[in-house]
Amino acid sequence: MADEITITIDGQEVKTAPGKMVVQAANDAGIYVPYLCYHPGMKPYGACRMCVVEIEGQRGTPASCTLPVRDGMVVNTKAEEAAKVRDTTLDLLLSEHPHGCLTCHRVDLCGPQDVCLRNVDVVDRCVTCPKNERCELKDTTRFHAQELVSPLTYQYRNLQVETKDPFYDRDYNLCIVCARCTRACDELRGDVAIGMTERAGQTLVGTVMGDSLLESGCEFCGACIDVCPVGALTESAHKWERPSRTEQSVCAECPVGCTMTYEVNHWERVVRAVPELNAPANRGQACFKGKFGFNYVNDKRRIKKPLLRRGGALVEATWEEAFAAAAAGLAGRRGAAFALMANPRNTNEELYAAQKFARTAMGSNNVDVASNDRPGIVEGLQDVFGYFAGTMTAWELEESAVAMVVSANLTEEQNVLAVPIKRAVRAGTQRLIVVDSRETELTRYASVWLRPYPGTDPVLLGGLLRAALDNGLTDAAFVSAHAEGWDDMAASLEPFTLDAVAAETGVPAERITEAARLYAGAGPAALLLGGDSSVGGTRRTTSRIAAALAVATGNVGKRGAGVLPIYHGANDQGAWDMGLWPSSLPGHRFAADAAAREEIEALWGAPVPAEQGAGNRRIFDEARAGRIKAMVMLGDHVHYEDGSLGDVAGALDALDFLVVSGAFASAATERADVVFPAEVWAEKTGTYTNIERRVQPLRKVVKSRGVDARSDLEIVAGVAQAMGADGFAWDGPEAALEEIARAVPEYAGITAERLLRERLDVPAFPADEPQPTQVAYTGNVLTGLRWPVPPEGAAEEPDPFAGILRYGKARLQPVAWHPRPRRSAERPLALAHGRVLIQPGRKPDIVAEGKRNRVEREERLALHPSDAADAGLREGDAAVAVTEAGDERRGVVEISDAVPVGVISLTTLFGALAVEVDASDRPDPMNHIERLNAAPARIVRAEAQPTEGA
Amino acid sequence: MSGGESWGAAHPAAGAAMSGGESRGGAAHPAAGAAPSGAELRERARRAIAEQPGKTVTVLSSLLAAQDELHYLPFEAIEEAAMSAGASVNEAWGVASFYPNFRFTPPARHSVEVCWGPTCHVLGAQPILQGLARHLGLDGEGDTEDGSVSLKFNTCLGVCPHAPAMSFDHQLAGRMSLDAAVSRLERVRSGEQGA
Repeated sequence: MADEITITIDGQEVKTAPGKMVVQAANDAGIYVPYLCYHPGMKPYGACRMCVVEIEGQRGTPASCTLPVRDGMVVNTKAEEAAKVRDTTLDLLLSEHPHGCLTCHRVDLCGPQDVCLRNVDVVDRCVTCPKNERCELKDTTRFHAQELVSPLTYQYRNLQVETKDPFYDRDYNLCIVCARCTRACDELRGDVAIGMTERAGQTLVGTVMGDSLLESGCEFCGACIDVCPVGALTESAHKWERPSRTEQSVCAECPVGCTMTYEVNHWERVVRAVPELNAPANRGQACFKGKFGFNYVNDKRRIKKPLLRRGGALVEATWEEAFAAAAAGLAGRRGAAFALMANPRNTNEELYAAQKFARTAMGSNNVDVASNDRPGIVEGLQDVFGYFAGTMTAWELEESAVAMVVSANLTEEQNVLAVPIKRAVRAGTQRLIVVDSRETELTRYASVWLRPYPGTDPVLLGGLLRAALDNGLTDAAFVSAHAEGWDDMAASLEPFTLDAVAAETGVPAERITEAARLYAGAGPAALLLGGDSSVGGTRRTTSRIAAALAVATGNVGKRGAGVLPIYHGANDQGAWDMGLWPSSLPGHRFAADAAAREEIEALWGAPVPAEQGAGNRRIFDEARAGRIKAMVMLGDHVHYEDGSLGDVAGALDALDFLVVSGAFASAATERADVVFPAEVWAEKTGTYTNIERRVQPLRKVVKSRGVDARSDLEIVAGVAQAMGADGFAWDGPEAALEEIARAVPEYAGITAERLLRERLDVPAFPADEPQPTQVAYTGNVLTGLRWPVPPEGAAEEPDPFAGILRYGKARLQPVAWHPRPRRSAERPLALAHGRVLIQPGRKPDIVAEGKRNRVEREERLALHPSDAADAGLREGDAAVAVTEAGDERRGVVEISDAVPVGVISLTTLFGALAVEVDASDRPDPMNHIERLNAAPARIVRAEAQPTEGA
Repeated sequence: MSGGESWGAAHPAAGAAMSGGESRGGAAHPAAGAAPSGAELRERARRAIAEQPGKTVTVLSSLLAAQDELHYLPFEAIEEAAMSAGASVNEAWGVASFYPNFRFTPPARHSVEVCWGPTCHVLGAQPILQGLARHLGLDGEGDTEDGSVSLKFNTCLGVCPHAPAMSFDHQLAGRMSLDAAVSRLERVRSGEQGA
């Protein structure tokens, strides 16, 4: 097949590739062909008939979106016959589409403060439609300047606007039935939460029997809204607010690091987020957090001025007073008495400054980031590969023949990573292994679902590795070329016999062998290692074994193969790179290593403490024990209140001195001696590093309004300078990044200026040509730079092993057997709480409460027969599971062999979470979604609620 | 498949009135006697879908099998048809709602069909179907409020020599007049009442 063919479009010769459709070839060449149902990235469909063209030597007017290019093809987009077809099509579309926007005689004349025909103030909006001037139907009609044949009326469908579901408004009176939304939900996301209903003139988009999106399988990713050409699908927040400008930046909700275009109105409010179509990390996709979670940026409940505790109360102060007070309070509490906690929305520059401050000004290695509750998963990778990082990119996952997801709830936590997996599984090119004691959305897609007893992940993965060895599934040539330590590692697998592993994990032996065969034998395999159900101390082993499994089967450093650590924080990777970690310095160097310390000391001109610091949970334990006396906390996080860092409030109460920077009041600010008003992510510049090790520039999306806030970089530097420390006089994040590029060898070559130059070449369209929103917004695609950074102009990662193996070879580690965690007599079971989009056969009730729908369903607490017998429970009993943290989950008992012994399996619906987040009146609800980690629990008969009919 | 029943009303407006109203408003099932439970409906649908005789099993064939068993498609049947084909329930709904022959509420106890094919039309079907609808208190096709009769228009019952034709509980009747139709209808209804 030829790589390049030539066709002629409107007399212009166009080079294109075989397999492309004519409309795509024309668009790529900058020739506009009108279309309404086609959308880049989706399969040809041919619904709207707007893209009809004439082909020389061919009869009729074929739709160019379903017509593949042929060498020598001569296309005429402006032929009279085609134009006639288009006119008729448009006319028919408009006969059912409310088009006040085209016929209002003032539509071009409206100015601020006018009073509209419809008797509303025209301030920044047109009230005829919520599409806010991005309507492709309107633009297309105007672009054609066609005469409207039919009278200027339309048949109104008179359908109820669906406004009761979270985040979305659906007005099918405006729908033109292009099916982009249903195709996006199906082809792009794999959910099919909406579909086409009925036929002919009645055809519309809908759900089964008009169900709520809460029960139709919707993950609230917003992909359908993003592709809707008209105002039928809109975000319910800021629905009528027209943007005055857009700004591209990186989402701060999870480590995927999606590039988004943010619409900003002229009051500096972020009103919408549209995922960037061509960004390498997300390829036009987003999730409920990224699409709908930014609203905290606009929240008015901000901390507006620096605050000082005087006489027991916080009072406003100047920045100078606050810096002086912080410096004075911290001065006497250096060394091991000091700790600093950052948050996952901090930029690399802030994290770098924070750890430098802790180490040089405070002489302490007690630094960590709040989201970093599972450092083991990257420590194990560091042991083997040399870096606290994963080895592959997000969208390589679409090319993997096998994906194995271990104890990770991707759909909820790192949503976009699940998209390539779901697509590939649905396309039949990938098989999925899920290792999780919970039921998650991905278990529906899995060929093999292993449900080990919580906390036995390392034993199970060891069993898989041993099974691969015993069955001759390893790649000896790969191992000898790229790994060392094989013999010791292999010898250490001695206790991991199938029977022993099966007995310890509760997973049947034949399933272990099946999974090992699948992982090792089907082609490039990806291993996504979470640790949601793991127990502290075992994750590092799990991750060493995972790395060994990947190396043993030759699944590293190839396209579609690799290991990805599945952590939570948007910039946790940055924290590890910057050395915001108790044991390591910038550049993945250990503080205990004298040579590494010397390098950093030389750069900083200040001594660096050598002793191992305390991290995450231990920081708060030490504070409660009175050994840590002063802390700096940057920002807020769910882990401060969900128990995963222990009793945080108790720890803060025990401190002598607490400095907090934050945007909103929190449990920490209540206890603080000094509070700094911090800028939120959208107000800052800097860089984030995503799960693919891609360093991406963060742009200033909005200016702070009515708030005297500063970035954590300025705040940390201000405190440091008030303490007389040198080396904090950066005049902005760009200067800090320059120092980072010197301190972190992997970042060498990164500058703020180069990050703004590294972009994809996307053809730009004239502004007056109608385009889908995502196409109109693309064109300035900043790709970021994956570390280790290639020289300028060079392709990303010419050698697949570059950036994966730090020491040239993988250093396989001997494997330890961690027995299954012992449970107390008081809480003998583990509550494995999972969340899915739908459960066939278990339809919830949807209750309309006020303006919103709510999910109501009797949940089931599923138990193995033996556990049910121990607890004295029978099928259908009302019961309550109580965890260590005092969480109570009510439900009826279901007895099932499919549930592992020792586990209470509870599966709730994603819709319930969406309702909860949407209805939350907290300023920043997405930052406070509880994680579904397995927790020790007991189950008892519910006393309070007598059961009906049970 | 029972011939008369499955080649039913094809009038677009009628189809819209039936399935359209429900798909947008949510399914409200008029109670016709003691309704079987959801679990029972699901089990019957599952068995009917599993026991389809045809070699090619599709969402459509499964929906037909379920409707043959249950005489309508409750949510449970649509979900079972979707699951058996590995499709989403919304996709299955796309198929089900496409065909006006599928119904999503339990049928009334008696079915009365009026043929309005060309021959029947010429020989006087129009007064019959209007008169019957009026008699039953309906605007057109549909179920009576008491759940006793489903009135349907049929494109062709296949007995043109006997036009105008009708069917009462799938029993054909020919050379009908409005009076004959009403009295036959009432006999059918009262037979049920006597039973």
